[in-house]
Amino acid sequence: MLSRLSPIGLSFCLTTHLALAQGTTISPSEPGFTTGLWTRGNLLGDAGGLRSELWNYGITFGVQDINEVWGNVSGGIQRGASYDGVTLMSVGLDTQRAFGWVGGTLNISGWNIRGRNIAANNLLNLQTPSGILASPTTRLWEVWYQQSFLDGRFDVKIGQQSLDQEFMSSQYSSLFLNTMMGWPMVPSADLYAGGPAYPLSSLGLRLRTQLGDGFTALGGVFQDNPPGGPFNDDGQLRGSTRWGGNFNLRTGALFIAEIQYALNQPNNGDMDYGRHAAGLPGTYKLGMWVDTASFPSPRFDNTGLSLADPLSTGVPQMLRNNFSIYGVVDQMIWRPAADSPQSVGVFARVMGAPGDRNLISFSVNAGITVKALLPGRDDDTMGIGFGIAKVSRAAASLDRDTVFFSGNPFPVRGAETFIEITYQIQANGWWQLQPDFQYVFNPGGGILKPNNPAQSVGNEAIFGLRSVVTF
Amino acid sequence: MRPPAPLTEPIGSFIQSWARPACALSLKWVFAVVIATPILSGDARAAEQKGLLETMKRHSIITSTVPANGDQNPYAIVVAPVSAGKIQQGDVLVDNFNDRNNLQGLGTTIVDYNPTTKKLSLFAAIPRNLPQCPGGVGLTTAMTMLKTGWVIVGSLPSRDGTTKTKGQGCLIILDVQGNVSGTLTGPNINGPWGNMAVIDNGTTATLFVSNTGFDVGPPDDEPPVVNKATVLRIELSIPEGKLPTVTKETMIASGFGERADKDVFIIGPTGLALGNDGVLYVSDALGNRIAAIPNAATRADSAGTGREVTKDGLLKRPLAMIMAPNGHLLVTNGLNGQVVEIDPQSGTQIYARWVDANKAQSPPGSGDLFGIAMAPTGDSFYYVEDEVNMLVLAH
Repeated sequence: MLSRLSPIGLSFCLTTHLALAQGTTISPSEPGFTTGLWTRGNLLGDAGGLRSELWNYGITFGVQDINEVWGNVSGGIQRGASYDGVTLMSVGLDTQRAFGWVGGTLNISGWNIRGRNIAANNLLNLQTPSGILASPTTRLWEVWYQQSFLDGRFDVKIGQQSLDQEFMSSQYSSLFLNTMMGWPMVPSADLYAGGPAYPLSSLGLRLRTQLGDGFTALGGVFQDNPPGGPFNDDGQLRGSTRWGGNFNLRTGALFIAEIQYALNQPNNGDMDYGRHAAGLPGTYKLGMWVDTASFPSPRFDNTGLSLADPLSTGVPQMLRNNFSIYGVVDQMIWRPAADSPQSVGVFARVMGAPGDRNLISFSVNAGITVKALLPGRDDDTMGIGFGIAKVSRAAASLDRDTVFFSGNPFPVRGAETFIEITYQIQANGWWQLQPDFQYVFNPGGGILKPNNPAQSVGNEAIFGLRSVVTF
Repeated sequence: MRPPAPLTEPIGSFIQSWARPACALSLKWVFAVVIATPILSGDARAAEQKGLLETMKRHSIITSTVPANGDQNPYAIVVAPVSAGKIQQGDVLVDNFNDRNNLQGLGTTIVDYNPTTKKLSLFAAIPRNLPQCPGGVGLTTAMTMLKTGWVIVGSLPSRDGTTKTKGQGCLIILDVQGNVSGTLTGPNINGPWGNMAVIDNGTTATLFVSNTGFDVGPPDDEPPVVNKATVLRIELSIPEGKLPTVTKETMIASGFGERADKDVFIIGPTGLALGNDGVLYVSDALGNRIAAIPNAATRADSAGTGREVTKDGLLKRPLAMIMAPNGHLLVTNGLNGQVVEIDPQSGTQIYARWVDANKAQSPPGSGDLFGIAMAPTGDSFYYVEDEVNMLVLAH
């Protein structure tokens, strides 16, 4: 408009209003609870002023509620559907905000776990369909203090920790719901109680340092057995583990170390001379863990006989130490532009453990994810993945021994494979809905139905729906 | 088993600041450096230095910018030129665009960080409703502190966090205690948005303000670009001990693109920086370019969208912008975590530096940066990471 291109000259329309502050009548039109309800990042917003009031003391809190239903329409030991859910509560303290101590963070969290475990009741598969399936209880989870140094180049974390938060993690795999896509099958099956991972944790010390040029190293030592019981009696509800109060230090030590390389991912301070377009980002990890405890042989007893031998004592031979080596790849393989919401990523995780002392000697999971597949759904993600868990040669040999000594047919366990197709709908900032389908081949690696030993557990078609609400 | 994502990300995980280790040098280069160093003068070394950004070594988080009322999303940064009232010279003033529920256009507070005491205090909590400010109060990147102690801050308000309920806004004048003393409104002020450029002569001052609110509608799926954003020059008279009064206003640039956005509220010209030659540089966010408005302090007409200094390249939605002591422009990117250094004389984009490589966004740091201000030493700068409500110093 011409008028906007013209000089205005002396302003008579621009006015100065004087001395408003003290005498102004202030309309108390604070936004209501529903204002911005659909667009904000959590359901409660500032929770009526509670969040900002706590933040004045450096305190943050979060509540996340996950509910899901699962049903197997074929296979398993029986068909059916069930509900399960968890609520995660966490409180953090920023020590700088609280009392001026720079770089410190205290974190305390806990779970309420509820519902039925469809894997235990219907499926009996190794790679259970949901990573949140666990024994119902309400328990303390993590209690740790982290101190960073050198502007964050180095940090130390001490206290009760869950290793799945930092080790063996895969960005793209975390989209999927199957347990194997989170805390993998090797540590889940081979460590005492599945190791210090959801819903458990254990005391330990973790160090992390940024090495520069995209490399990060982290490692630590942790108590290896959160419940503290023997291998075949280390349930999540054992003793004070039920409420998370078993700060056990009496069993073995779990050493774990991981080196990470971030490809095409800048760090603070990197210079960009604009000479070439940035490549697609990826993350590569190589790690291992060593456990100093003793582990039961899946095949032999303490006299060297097969556990299937009628003369066996039934007491497994204990083998000192255990270890695993693993690798993780997350790589974006396509996006139309650097600032596009659309992208395609692939991932793979491979790990192995000794076959003479573990149920699972090898596991791999991999897949592909597509973000913003549908028009107008920039924050939705679709994924297709699979997982394979290979039963160890010792466990398979026990099955052969069972055939030999009993003279009856008995399946020899091999590998269990599943495929998963999932679509995560980011309904708004605080609500995710995720329909999911999984198909399990050879559940349990090939096992008989406990309720009908004449039949093997059949391949399973499983449907699920998860809702995640962040309060 | 796998848990959901953690709810309380450690604050320390947001901090990733270190200087990259020096590249390995071959023996001949080591020899050359050892021999050559003694005969290199300071000027020669300076000549090898292409700009300011390469001299930074660290990025240090200074403070959270969230005041007691929970306001979020820090935008403007102003380093106090004088001590007056609550403010000490060198203090860093930061305003907030969002309220405690993270609704955009509802932030009403300005915090004051004192680098000596390392304390954060509340400078001003402006009433949400000022009769002279149409639509409420939501503080923007348009903020300055004059040598006389007056603080002037822009408002582009909303009632629900979106442009659907956007008000016309105003400029608010605060005294040295943070009290509202007056407002500037009028038909030529509509959504004062970008960081101000200022000529401050004490008893008079000239403000350069970008306006991005003209005819901007709700943030629909694909809101249209409206080419009605302006740059207004406001000349003030500041009698001793009295409120600044407007003596003249002139629209010196116009026709820049502006549009509503469901994520970042509004996009329009955001960075204003004055060169020694009287040129006002404007970051044209939607045009992805830097424009020059010649004779900005004296011209009597609009230069339209100005002369193009540079476009695209390292620029990724340029936002707040400052003039560094070396005569180069430093501009924050909205679509990644980079600050770009530009030689405005040649129009050369010298390079960019990652100052926020937060990998939670794609590209890293996208949507995190906004305000920027030189520190008094002239060799470092403050910036905000608005996704974590932090003030950071690159030094």
